[in-house]
Amino acid sequence: MRTIQDLRRDEKDTQSLRSRSGVIFFFLLILIISGVFKILQLTVLDRVNYEAESDKNRIINIPIYPARGLITLEDGTLIAENIVTKDLYIKTKLYEASIDQVEHLHDKVLDENRKLDQLQVPIQDEGKIWLARNLSEQELAKYEVQKNSMPNIQLEAKLRRYLPHKNLFSHVIGHLGLINMDERLSLSRAEYPDDSFIGKVGLEKSYEKKLRGKTGISLMEVDVYGNKIREINRVSPDKPFNLTLTLDLRLQKIAQEELANRRGAVVALDPKTGFIKALVSSPDYNPNILNGSESGYPVSESSMEDSPFFNRAISGLYPPASTIKPFIGLLGLEEELITESTIVEDKGFFQLREEGRKYRGWKEDGHGRVDLKKAIVESSDVYFYELASKLTIDRISSFLLRFGFGEISGIDLINESKSILPTRNWKLGNIGEAWFVGDTINIGIGQGYISSTPLQLAVSLSAIANKGKIFQPKLIKNNQLDDYEPDLLMEVQIENPRHGNIIEKSMISVINSWNGTAHNLYEEGGITIAGKTGTAQIKSLTDQDLTVREEYEGVRKDINNRDHALFASYGPVPDPNLVVVVIVENGESGSAVAAPIAKRLIEEYQININES
Amino acid sequence: MSNRNPLDYSINKPLVTSFNPFSYLFKDITLVSALIAVLVFGLAMLYSSSGQSFSMVMRQSIYVFVGLIMMIFISHLKPDSYKNILMHSYWMGLLLLIYVLFNPAEGYTTSRWIDIGFFQFQPSEIIRLILPLSIVAYLHRKESKIRLEDWLYTTLAALICSYLVFEQPDLGTSIIVFTSGIIPIYLAGLPYRVIAAYLGMLAIVSPFIWSSLLDYQKQRVLTYFDSNVDPLGDGWNIAQSQTAIGSGGFFGKGYLQGTQSQLNFIPESHSDFIFSVIGEEFGLLGISCLFIVYGIIIWRIFKIGLSAQSPFERLACCSLGFIFLLFILINVSMVIGIIPVVGVPLPLISQGGTSIVVHLLAFGVILSAKRPQL
Repeated sequence: MRTIQDLRRDEKDTQSLRSRSGVIFFFLLILIISGVFKILQLTVLDRVNYEAESDKNRIINIPIYPARGLITLEDGTLIAENIVTKDLYIKTKLYEASIDQVEHLHDKVLDENRKLDQLQVPIQDEGKIWLARNLSEQELAKYEVQKNSMPNIQLEAKLRRYLPHKNLFSHVIGHLGLINMDERLSLSRAEYPDDSFIGKVGLEKSYEKKLRGKTGISLMEVDVYGNKIREINRVSPDKPFNLTLTLDLRLQKIAQEELANRRGAVVALDPKTGFIKALVSSPDYNPNILNGSESGYPVSESSMEDSPFFNRAISGLYPPASTIKPFIGLLGLEEELITESTIVEDKGFFQLREEGRKYRGWKEDGHGRVDLKKAIVESSDVYFYELASKLTIDRISSFLLRFGFGEISGIDLINESKSILPTRNWKLGNIGEAWFVGDTINIGIGQGYISSTPLQLAVSLSAIANKGKIFQPKLIKNNQLDDYEPDLLMEVQIENPRHGNIIEKSMISVINSWNGTAHNLYEEGGITIAGKTGTAQIKSLTDQDLTVREEYEGVRKDINNRDHALFASYGPVPDPNLVVVVIVENGESGSAVAAPIAKRLIEEYQININES
Repeated sequence: MSNRNPLDYSINKPLVTSFNPFSYLFKDITLVSALIAVLVFGLAMLYSSSGQSFSMVMRQSIYVFVGLIMMIFISHLKPDSYKNILMHSYWMGLLLLIYVLFNPAEGYTTSRWIDIGFFQFQPSEIIRLILPLSIVAYLHRKESKIRLEDWLYTTLAALICSYLVFEQPDLGTSIIVFTSGIIPIYLAGLPYRVIAAYLGMLAIVSPFIWSSLLDYQKQRVLTYFDSNVDPLGDGWNIAQSQTAIGSGGFFGKGYLQGTQSQLNFIPESHSDFIFSVIGEEFGLLGISCLFIVYGIIIWRIFKIGLSAQSPFERLACCSLGFIFLLFILINVSMVIGIIPVVGVPLPLISQGGTSIVVHLLAFGVILSAKRPQL
């Protein structure tokens, strides 16, 4: 039974409980209020940010790279394709701990010749070390058997660029390589992740964008471990362009074969379209190694010293030497300084004044009485010394400029060198001296300051072959691109068409005449070829006491000082369809070394044309 | 009418028109319905947050069921009949805390878990509720007024438990254990002069305690409060749970549609961080509903407590009410990132059999304070 006292005590007790509860509740209220504010901030104020954050968490963009565009010849022959290579790698952070597995790999799986790879610094990208690229069938089979004892080593299949003809098209197609710092700065990581291969030279570089196509994107939902759950959306990649080359496989092969790893270059083009039919620079390299689709070394040991990566056909600057004589002769006719029958007495040397410096011709005793035709056929230096001295440098350079000397041809390759066409201003600016008549005299035989690339020489010669018309030289003939039609680059106006014929006839006689410098090419009933030999001096022969021949005997002891052999030609006349320029460095004789290559190319090309 | 004492129970007995078996069995239908609502919701959330693991939900359901039976059983006992057991259960809790330090379950870096074969539990989960109940039982073991030394004994008891948890090491939980011990002591009427004396002593002693702490103990305290040091990766966890709640917005992403939780971005999403799953899938609306139901539970606890007839019952209810509220607040504050991470589950919802059963036992004590309406 409860009493009043009980009630009073209860009352007091409850009172105290209530007030003390109030105190505790006050403290908890701080937590409650701050909690409510925080929850409102999260769900109302910053909701958008957190939604984005949540999506960023779970959605990743996986780029879809289209397979690189193919490069083929007109007949469909594959020149550059993509193959799946199987490579072995190990994660960089696991490398230290798995040395025994790597050794096991070398012992049990990889071929003997891979031992060399071990010595190379491993290429690191994306936290991976590549242990072996492009496994052979045999290695792959061994790996499948052994893989359980090497759990840290993994196999990756990757599409890589492969050139079935290996070295043959190296200087045209070029190669790919890992993206570098400079390229990194200008390209987005979405298009080009850090381990992507990008065109470095050749067509691979100049058509990089078109060959690569546009990267697609796959939006993937992933969990916290990066496991793909499902695809949310997909933007398909744009199909890359396939390129069709203008080149002729047979000519390309012959040119490579004839140059036989000597330093030199061959350019052959169709003067009526500008389409390049052969472009070979020797020595060459194997782009597949650099593309990662083959293992080994890209260059042969013998050619290591000879700059095999240097594209001599478009970047090599050589004195045009006697191959310039037809142009100078044409200018003389056009300027009416000479006629077909103007005679110069060639005594073996030329002097501006009595007692002045002797400009010696290559033939010690001279060619005797020389007219224009004979001057070209026998390559009389004295004739052109005299003609050049009368023409003056201003007329010579402005005339040669119209043929493309001193210009780049604008071919679709990078690293084309601009040939040098000296003028008075050029010499003042680059040499810091005034122009002397002696300089002009040297230009008359294509020596001195003037220099040409094999490609430019071919383009210039195509004007003579084509009665003045010069077409833009091209490697790609592709109806996917808008610029596949022949493009007229420029047209040299020859005032009197007869002058052109005189020059052409003289050039034909270089081969057909018994006294022609390239008469060794002559064949009864063979194709008519117009050509001009050249022998580019590397060291100028200035000793006035020795004969040219005597002095050169001393010079040629050093192989690298020997003259370059040149031959510039076209055929068949009267309807030429191929201009060929051949340069063999230190080859000495244009007629014996360079000319036969050109002849073979022109002949083979006629067979090809008749077949198709 | 008559000269009978107006306090005579039989006269003031309200008119009972009908006998309701439910209100007899559950004693407080509102409280029990709210509890069951939260428990069922908790099971549903567990299903979502555990990667839709049915077996985990089944396991939890068994604990819920056992807990509810025990709750109803206790609610029909007279408090006097179990007061002594409650008081002495302190020693059992103490024993477990000591035991866990020497015999922790394997596979953890800390000594928090006890492994008894078919399941594992944390003694600190139990002590969080055993400690305040035993303190309440001790303080009101007799009808007489509470003596001065009783305050000291109970405070000491709380300190010992708190220290043992600190040694596990688990600074956060040790603070919570101490708080849940000190709440009933304060509510029981801890005299303010004693509080002043405690604070004075603390001011004098704390430098000595600090210097007597070993280096690793100091380090432990410092890292706990230093937000720059993040040894457990708590920062990432909090960022993920905030992202989950924030991206849930007002209506949420829908049940089983939370990307943060379904794709495992939320750590411990089925236990301590289950609140962020609720936020992500049901949004502000769902959180508010949950809080309302929690609010009803707390309101009923205090309602029962303040109208209970013995001081033991009143104190037990109010203490448990505050501790329940405190656990909710600490868990939610931790998940939304306004306090450091502590191992406190969301009451009645987070996965964990011990926590559920102990909480339901405490609700049994609360319900027993309500007189049956006959």
